[in-house]
Amino acid sequence: MAPRHQLSRDPAAAWAPYAPDAARPWTLARASHLYRRAAFGARAEDLVRALAGGPEQAVAELLAPPGDLTAFDRARDADETAACRSGRSDAVRDWWLRRMILSPHPLRERMALLWHAHFALDAAQVKEAPAVRRHVALLREHALGSYRSLVEAMVRDPALLASLGAAASRRGQPAEGLARALLERWTVGAEHCAEEDVREAARAFTGTFVRGDEVIHVAREHDGGVKRVLGRTGPFTGEDVVQIALAHPATAETVVRRLWRAFVSEVEEPAPALLAPLARSFAAGLDLGRLAGTILRSSLFFSDAARGQRITSPVELAVGLVRSLEGLIATSTLARDLDRLGQRLLHPPTARGWAGGPAWIDRVTLLRRQALAAALLAEGGAYGGRLDPREVAARHGHADVNAAADFLADLLLPEGGEAVRSAARAELSRGAPGEALRRFAIAIARSPEYQLS
Amino acid sequence: MIPTRREFLEVALGATGALSFGAAQPGWLRRLPGRAAPGAGETALVVVQLSGGNDGLNTVVPYGDDEYGRHRPTLRLAERELHKIDDHLGFHPRLGGIAALYRDGLASIVQGVGYAGSDRDHGPALRAWHTADPAPGRETGWLGRVADAAQGPEHDDTPVMFVGPIAAPFALNATRAVVPAIGSLAELAVDAAPARPAEGGAEGAERSLLAHVRRTERAAQALSEAVARARDARSRVEYPSGPFAADLFTVARLIRAGAGIRIFCTELGGEGFGGFDNHANQLGNHCALLQQLSAAVSAFLRDLEAAGLLDRVLLMTFSEFGRTLAENGRRGTGHGAAAPVLLAGGRLRGGLLGVHPSLTDLDQGAPRPHTDFRRVYATVLEGWLGLPSEPVLGGSFAPLPAFAG
Repeated sequence: MAPRHQLSRDPAAAWAPYAPDAARPWTLARASHLYRRAAFGARAEDLVRALAGGPEQAVAELLAPPGDLTAFDRARDADETAACRSGRSDAVRDWWLRRMILSPHPLRERMALLWHAHFALDAAQVKEAPAVRRHVALLREHALGSYRSLVEAMVRDPALLASLGAAASRRGQPAEGLARALLERWTVGAEHCAEEDVREAARAFTGTFVRGDEVIHVAREHDGGVKRVLGRTGPFTGEDVVQIALAHPATAETVVRRLWRAFVSEVEEPAPALLAPLARSFAAGLDLGRLAGTILRSSLFFSDAARGQRITSPVELAVGLVRSLEGLIATSTLARDLDRLGQRLLHPPTARGWAGGPAWIDRVTLLRRQALAAALLAEGGAYGGRLDPREVAARHGHADVNAAADFLADLLLPEGGEAVRSAARAELSRGAPGEALRRFAIAIARSPEYQLS
Repeated sequence: MIPTRREFLEVALGATGALSFGAAQPGWLRRLPGRAAPGAGETALVVVQLSGGNDGLNTVVPYGDDEYGRHRPTLRLAERELHKIDDHLGFHPRLGGIAALYRDGLASIVQGVGYAGSDRDHGPALRAWHTADPAPGRETGWLGRVADAAQGPEHDDTPVMFVGPIAAPFALNATRAVVPAIGSLAELAVDAAPARPAEGGAEGAERSLLAHVRRTERAAQALSEAVARARDARSRVEYPSGPFAADLFTVARLIRAGAGIRIFCTELGGEGFGGFDNHANQLGNHCALLQQLSAAVSAFLRDLEAAGLLDRVLLMTFSEFGRTLAENGRRGTGHGAAAPVLLAGGRLRGGLLGVHPSLTDLDQGAPRPHTDFRRVYATVLEGWLGLPSEPVLGGSFAPLPAFAG
């Protein structure tokens, strides 16, 4: 869509770490861009720290937040495990949204969300809520780790196998769902494998069964014969096929493209030459944290080529707004609203997840996004007025209405929003300050500019 | 050469869908925002899901068949209470509103609808109706595929919407399009944004994401105002209370507002197995649901009739299966196969389509379907929306002669 940026034509310069200089200073706008893409949205303290510490440190802290996460994780795990006893996977969804809002490691949740779209578990096909919880926990555990470990965990995850219709794969009746997903979507991609590869790979996975909450291997149901998969021949098992697929050069490109769409642009198709250096280094260790770090640190990421190149998904939009305003809202209510915007968490529309991009926005969904922003920030109503823009501004030392408005505008939309900001000021002239600042924040959050990241 | 709309679509859809519309109505779904207005002449389809497996035999009742009364000692409906269609069939006593529509030629009944070897479990049976494919594994819904096909290269508005309190049915699952859901009109009546100075330049032609959202915002505001006007417009027709009637009220208002939505999906019966799944004490439950259905559908059509829009709307019902002929000893019925489909609207031929299925030649205790449900889908896609049905249904199904000539 956008004209191709100069950096897009020079891979070495594009992926070199961004180093602020006079022409491209380290600004609030750049720090905010980083947090909107990698952490749903920025909190005031994030921006203060980032501006003081510089981009390198900001990215490093997103990848590995300082401090001890185990207490947070342990408390959430306990809450979620208890909530699952009700037997409804809706509870898993609600608690996950809560974690996205509260997590001291937002990039990990952002990546887990990306992997959810990638592996596309449909909880409707999974009977047990605890199995759905464990699936999300696996996405989180491996979110920034090794893609090899992530895929290995996925192919033996009971919930995902049930979702793929691969809960029982017999020698005489191989289930193709897992093999197809592995080859066509998670590794080499449909253009690098044939129907024959899928069929042969499915034979390698025979003998795999979901029994209760575990995946078991039944030797007599395994087809031990010779298979030919992606040009290799042997008496492969499912594990062999996973390793063959992961070692294929196209797999690295599949993953790099995923992260390109999440972090750089949904609208520009990257030239293969631009992705080649990333794919090459990723192929060496399949290290997701390293790949994400390279992209987030890069000159390209902080250039105009990457800004305003994505439509925020409904989940990112709402979680980002709530994070920025340092509040917590009823996530069961939020999940329902997100569902109506077209993003029903744990129930992606197809096994390809959500297509995303410009399709998120049409007349009806835009009105609904605007209504959601207004509801989240309203004094009462469905969300109970638990986000309070005035209070957040005061907490950060901006008690005066006008200063508070500037603070909120800087927090939510520090760039490209001059017209939005000045129009929103009209809201400040009437009503009590608390109410006026709510309307001001709504005017920003519902603007076209805020739908982009 | 300038590509035609059809070529454009084919390129845009590429290898994924390969859906293409006939040249007769090349851009039917690509209404420009703001252009839609009452009187613009667009047809709308309203698909109503009756969740749980509606008892077709106590909906369109074969009272003239001795087998009916013989197998239903407690559930049989008395002949004198029925709204008679002919000397063999009559509508359930609570379907008075629909019976009146039928007499006025505003409703038709397609009899014996289902599919060969139909599934008797709710999940797979519902999935078959939603995907338009009895074989498992189909990833998208039939209405979702229509929404996908309508996604042009410029990200046009999705002309499909779910209206109701529950999660949208799988029929609306799409690969590319985002199919929105609303619970009430209030969700679309959003106050205008604070006035902003005009954003500079030839933004109308600009192809950036921001330009896309800004263009959409202007159209969205126009829609919101139209919805607010329609919401406040007086109606001479009183809708009954209850969530289903409220949903049809919402649909009627969106049609009156010229919202450009071509396909609405709504639901009666609720989540879980659905209210129509009456394995015990069916009589009272079923009465209450049919009462809601009839009163709401009747109010909906009379409302649109008063607004002069009757010829623009077609409503169809479906349920995942019918029920067994014999009751089960608990004053309920089991999962069955064939069931009738109701069509209601202004341009129907009226009357019955097809014969009532036999009550002696049963499949596991239930009437056998003689009309594949995809023929009903083909009827509404081709005959009502003007779309070739084959790319949506993945096969050729003959439309039924449902519409007036």
